[in-house]
Amino acid sequence: MSTLIKTEIPDQLWQQAQNMVEQGWIDNMDALIAEAMRRYIESHQQTISERFIREDIDWGLHGKD
Amino acid sequence: MEKTRAVVIADAEPIIHLDELNSLDLLADFGKVIIPETVWNEVERHRPQALSCSGVKLIRQRAVHFSAQVDALTPFYTLHAGEQEALHLCCEFKNSLLLTDDTAARLAAKNLGVAAHGTLGVLVRAIRQQTRSIPEVLKLLRAIPTQTTLHIRAALLAEVISDVEKNVKEVYK
Repeated sequence: MSTLIKTEIPDQLWQQAQNMVEQGWIDNMDALIAEAMRRYIESHQQTISERFIREDIDWGLHGKD
Repeated sequence: MEKTRAVVIADAEPIIHLDELNSLDLLADFGKVIIPETVWNEVERHRPQALSCSGVKLIRQRAVHFSAQVDALTPFYTLHAGEQEALHLCCEFKNSLLLTDDTAARLAAKNLGVAAHGTLGVLVRAIRQQTRSIPEVLKLLRAIPTQTTLHIRAALLAEVISDVEKNVKEVYK
């Protein structure tokens, strides 16, 4: 199952992505966008973000610097 | 106000968010506040007035030494150019502190052994440093959803505010 999306992407970024597809680094633009989203979601997991916020509060209140 | 020796290397978001809260001066008690060249350009594009804030001296600096570790982590965490340059500078200035609100940049910093904190940490730190009163900091925290472009889940922010209130009552009673 997949969802059709409409989005606006800066020209330069789009061009870079197209070049990667043309050079054969990835199958097509759909795969590239899905991979980019997957990577973003992996590296910005909500639980990690929330843990960092809690660490911030602890540092703010009890840190040394 | 007692200055700490820490050198802060800032990413764009905390500079923008602190300025949105008229609180960039909260960085004034750090030893140095360095804005990497790429980050400087980013802030200049999105919120130029932040760079001329009179309450704090912001140092515009280009990274000259490049860490192979940062380069290796860049694709793994999909770091932006500003985050990369900030991390290169953190590797150059030992014991520096990275100021970022980006989760991936913080994960990369952890990997490099670099201390990293975000906007919320700086706001709450103002209580400890006595640069803002407790009610002033609580007011700033409450203003985040309406006055800034910082995204934080409403329930989490409410929890944070309640934690801060509880903690300051215990520590500063």
